Amino acid sequence: MNARKSRRLAAAIMVAGALTVTTACSSGHSNGDGAASGASKEPVKAASISVGTAEDSKGPAAAEPNAKKGGTVNMIDRDDFSHLDPAQIYLNYNSEVSLLLTRQLTGYKYLPDGTQKLVGDLATDTGTTTDGGKTWKFTLKDGVKWQDGTPITSADVKYSIERTFASFVKSGPTYVQTWLAGDKYREAYAGPYDGKSLDAVQAPDAKTVVFTFKDAHPDANFTLAMTGYGVVPKAQDTKDAYDKKPFSSGPYQIVEHVTDKSLDLVRNPNWDPATDPIRNAYPDKWHMEFGVQAQQSTERFMADNGADKLAFSFHNQVHPSFIDQVKADEKLKPRTLEGLSPYVDYYFINNTRIKDQKVREALIRAFPHQQTRQLQGGTSYGDYATTYMSPTVLGYEKSDVYDTLKKPQGDPEAAKKLLTEANAMGQTIVYAYNNTPLQQKVTEAIRVALEAAGFKFVPKPLDAKTYYDAIGLVNNEYDLYWGGWGADWPTGYTSLQPVWDGRAIADGASNYAHLNDPEVNSAIDAAVKIADPVEQGKAWAALDKKLQQKAVSIPDVYQRSLSLYGSGLGGVKYDTLFGLQSPLNIYVK
Amino acid sequence: MLRFLVRRSLGALVILLIISMVTFALFFAIPADPARLYCGKVCSPENLVLIKHSMGLDQSVPMQYWNWLSGIFVGHTYPGGDVPHCDAPCFGWSFVKKDMVLDTLMDRFPTTLSLTVGSAVVFLIFGIGTGMLAAHKQGKAADKIASAASLVATSMQIYVAGPLALWALVYSTDLLDLPTYVPITEDPIGWFTGLLVPWIVLSLIWTANYTRMTRSSMVEQLTEDYVRTARAKGMSGTSVFMRYAWRGAMGTIVTVFGIDLGVLLGGAIITESTFGLHGLGELAIRSFIDSDLSMLVGVTMVAATFIVIFNIVVDAVYALIDPRIRLA
Amino acid sequence: MTTQAKPEEAAAGGGSSTAFLSVRDLSVRFSTEDGVVRAVDNLSFDVEPGTTLGIVGESGSGKSVTNLAILGLHNPEKTDITGSIKLAGQELVGASTKELEKLRGKTMSMIFQDPLTALSPFHTIGKQIGETFRKHTGASKKEARDRAIEMLTKVGIPQPNVRVDDYPHQFSGGMRQRAMIAMSLVCNPKLVIADEPTTALDVTVQAQILDLLKDLQQEMGTAIILITHDLGVVANTAQKIMVMYAGRAVERGTVREVLKTPQHPYTWGLLSSMPNLSGPVDVPLRPVRGTPPSLINLPSGCPFNPRCDFREKVVGGGCTSERPALLPEAGHATACHLTAAQKQDIFIDQIQPRLG
Repeated sequence: MNARKSRRLAAAIMVAGALTVTTACSSGHSNGDGAASGASKEPVKAASISVGTAEDSKGPAAAEPNAKKGGTVNMIDRDDFSHLDPAQIYLNYNSEVSLLLTRQLTGYKYLPDGTQKLVGDLATDTGTTTDGGKTWKFTLKDGVKWQDGTPITSADVKYSIERTFASFVKSGPTYVQTWLAGDKYREAYAGPYDGKSLDAVQAPDAKTVVFTFKDAHPDANFTLAMTGYGVVPKAQDTKDAYDKKPFSSGPYQIVEHVTDKSLDLVRNPNWDPATDPIRNAYPDKWHMEFGVQAQQSTERFMADNGADKLAFSFHNQVHPSFIDQVKADEKLKPRTLEGLSPYVDYYFINNTRIKDQKVREALIRAFPHQQTRQLQGGTSYGDYATTYMSPTVLGYEKSDVYDTLKKPQGDPEAAKKLLTEANAMGQTIVYAYNNTPLQQKVTEAIRVALEAAGFKFVPKPLDAKTYYDAIGLVNNEYDLYWGGWGADWPTGYTSLQPVWDGRAIADGASNYAHLNDPEVNSAIDAAVKIADPVEQGKAWAALDKKLQQKAVSIPDVYQRSLSLYGSGLGGVKYDTLFGLQSPLNIYVK
Repeated sequence: MLRFLVRRSLGALVILLIISMVTFALFFAIPADPARLYCGKVCSPENLVLIKHSMGLDQSVPMQYWNWLSGIFVGHTYPGGDVPHCDAPCFGWSFVKKDMVLDTLMDRFPTTLSLTVGSAVVFLIFGIGTGMLAAHKQGKAADKIASAASLVATSMQIYVAGPLALWALVYSTDLLDLPTYVPITEDPIGWFTGLLVPWIVLSLIWTANYTRMTRSSMVEQLTEDYVRTARAKGMSGTSVFMRYAWRGAMGTIVTVFGIDLGVLLGGAIITESTFGLHGLGELAIRSFIDSDLSMLVGVTMVAATFIVIFNIVVDAVYALIDPRIRLA
Repeated sequence: MTTQAKPEEAAAGGGSSTAFLSVRDLSVRFSTEDGVVRAVDNLSFDVEPGTTLGIVGESGSGKSVTNLAILGLHNPEKTDITGSIKLAGQELVGASTKELEKLRGKTMSMIFQDPLTALSPFHTIGKQIGETFRKHTGASKKEARDRAIEMLTKVGIPQPNVRVDDYPHQFSGGMRQRAMIAMSLVCNPKLVIADEPTTALDVTVQAQILDLLKDLQQEMGTAIILITHDLGVVANTAQKIMVMYAGRAVERGTVREVLKTPQHPYTWGLLSSMPNLSGPVDVPLRPVRGTPPSLINLPSGCPFNPRCDFREKVVGGGCTSERPALLPEAGHATACHLTAAQKQDIFIDQIQPRLG
């Protein structure tokens, strides 16, 4: 979730609500990105993610209707990809382009109904485990090759995992490393560069990879679908410099990457579509350009001139000042993408300071969701959240324990009643916030609501650049603070464990609420061990409900996304995993 | 002249040395710890130590400064071996951009240079031309129109005029090309069309500046005694205007232009961001946001070097224009 | 002596045809934001070849404006010039810029007060001298340079063939003024207007410059208008004097007449304010009291009346109601309501003892 964090930091610095989208009509989504459909009143019900079979894992990818091969697709965005070395990729934005260049053991493919399915990518299937998730075995497909034509072997996979332990890998995910070698995994193993091998990953033959974790991780096949666990060949590994120009295992290879300016991709002749169930790879070339602000890209998409007709944007959304205009324009509708992003906004309650559940409940009841959302973009900012998991996560169940949907403006009377019962009228709440003009307004709205409910409100402005560092301290002296979170893969594990597992409390760790509840901890452990994804999903939903009942923090908003692309493109879809535009099915009309 | 150049160049080196020290000290006063930023979400203290070590941040600030300074002359090898060896002249490795700072600077500079030189040619010609015309027609309609127009244009800011021009000339009409940089060596036409919109906007604003400046210094020069003398000698209006008044006004304009050029070559932050051009200015702001220390120091030094160099050039040129100034 | 006095009288007064420069009823008005400035009002005078007319007065009395008007150097859009200026019979008021450019520097030229600012710092002395020569004679660069060296020699610059390539800032003050003179005389003009040519120089150099001017005048037969606020300078150089106050002539006559028997209270004031080397040391200097009047709102009657010590002596208070004319038409004339007898009495009783 570093991903989420850097994004938010950047957004905070730019003082713009980057992730602002609207939700006015339930049919607003266009290209069958059904997973993220729905208006604020009725969020997605069914799980949008399923697990596929070996048959599902065979290539080629399901063809897009009317799609044809060829042409050059343009991509315009504000920033260059901060990382291209798979080991360093955590940010959703980097992941999206990595799909074109690098393959993992597993991945997600789109189904015709718009949902996504976990399938084998380099592997023949989504992996097998015989001991409930402790040992995982993957078999590589035939015909998978690097861009120079050499075959991708199990040794390559093993090497790719080993190098994620090296010290220069600073920003990738660390789940697999910790599972293999423990929390202090770098002390246990320092990477393959001094010739040492990691025993927990074995390549008994050229096609087989076996992972042996210290504990059971039944959803490890989801974890290995993270682009952060893509493959890197030993012969081409340039360590820190690899980040700029990775060696391709995917359908495209890099011609030129000029940092912060442009990235040009051409077909990788050694990529065989027959081995790939995920990537359609219609265009011959991709030209990506960076440094285009959201305002400019919105204007360009709306104008739809020249090369922009063939352009899309991974990350740039419709600039807030154009949202109404875009939504009102019927002509833009066919090339508008709208949906829920995987991110949920919370107002974390510091559970080490606010120990009385009644006080926490009073905070939840008093909180002015309507006012704060209005300030940040209104319905386009997102849907009111009542759960800790996003509707995009496998197993999500709707519930509304504190009547947030009935009174999104806050219920001061109910809050007062709770405070009186708790004998805590006039309780002081220290609220820490990003000191930006927008957040100052939001803070004012919160102050009015909390004071109306009988709290004493103390605002504490923090510098935007070090905001997360400040609220990440275990002994911070704040009671309430904003934080965003999104799942790394769409299961309850990454939605809930990093944020609510009491054993993960540490300076800089993501349990910002400092909740350490044995009941929650053991529920996490139990849920992790359930092998069936659907059953596991139910267990996470139950934990979610438990967290709601314990009033551990205030869920605020499920963020939404609204974006545009050029009229000359087809197959542009909204990727619910990352909340971005997906390149996988794009073709030139 | 030679003595002047040698003396000033030595002085400039000392100034740059001081600037580099101050820059180093300042950037280390920023609360954001770059190592912490790279360390990511699950940042164990052990990991942070490793990262600090590989970035060289575990050394004292003076030691880091020494590494940086000596790297320029003898190159630098980062501890840990994750990063390629940095050959002299080494300005460091950017852990954010995964590239040598010097390579990135060299890569960015042509954009800034093209942007600057292209618009400078336009704003010098039009700015000085219009300013002289206004001074010549002082008090008449042409002067009033030129003065009013330049006042309006000067008060416009690039972040207003830029998007406006983009909308009017590119997005809604598709008249001109989207701003982009293509090396002139690769495609001269593409270079020209790609930079046309930024040139237009930048020139417009700067032309206004130079119009006002030229006009006011010409008007001032025209009241000088020696201009009156020239007229009293029977010199014609044109020759008085050009040979005397302009000669006097030139000093001011050259001085301001030299300083402007130095600043512009250091990177026009807002212009480059507005037009999505990737020059030194955009690099500077990007590096600041990313807490990319080595790059920030590199960009700062480039900008400082240009300003210092152009100060020397201005002094030298001024001495050529004004014989009263003696170089020593 | 009458034979000598006669041409002088004629020149100073009426419209003699021998006058090289003849100014009649000249008025110069500037329009400014505050109102119309009457810088020169109804002024008439003549200058003959080979003679020097000294124009004396405080700053703002219209001396310089008059002479700039002769050269036509005022901004025509903001200046209203009426009357007549005839140079060798050619009418300059209303002449075209082209015609004036041909005359300036060639037939008439000007020496300015501060040679440091009046010479261009950007061009060599030689260039600035030669430029004038080339403009009016069409000489080549080489000829112009030779001429410049010749002129520098003439005005007494040592090593002229070297100094010709120097810039003004490399010259001393006196040398600069010599160069300035060389520049103004390069085309042998018939009329030179010297506007405070020695004010910026120290006393010893002043004398040298004035001597130089005199020598060159004798050699070339040039008519000179010498503008100064320093009566001492005029005494040694000029044949005739015109004292100006508030844009008008208040006294006019030969040097001897004006300096020895001044008749206007303002002239008395000027003389009293001037140190006299031959006079007693203990006589205090008396500056003219008060300040020069605003040229936009002139006092009614005689413009000098607010500063005049003798206006009570005029019967009927004419000083504040009626403007005195410059009388008589020719010869030693003053513009003052005091009777000739009063002027003589006051001068002898009160002024002369002060002058020593």
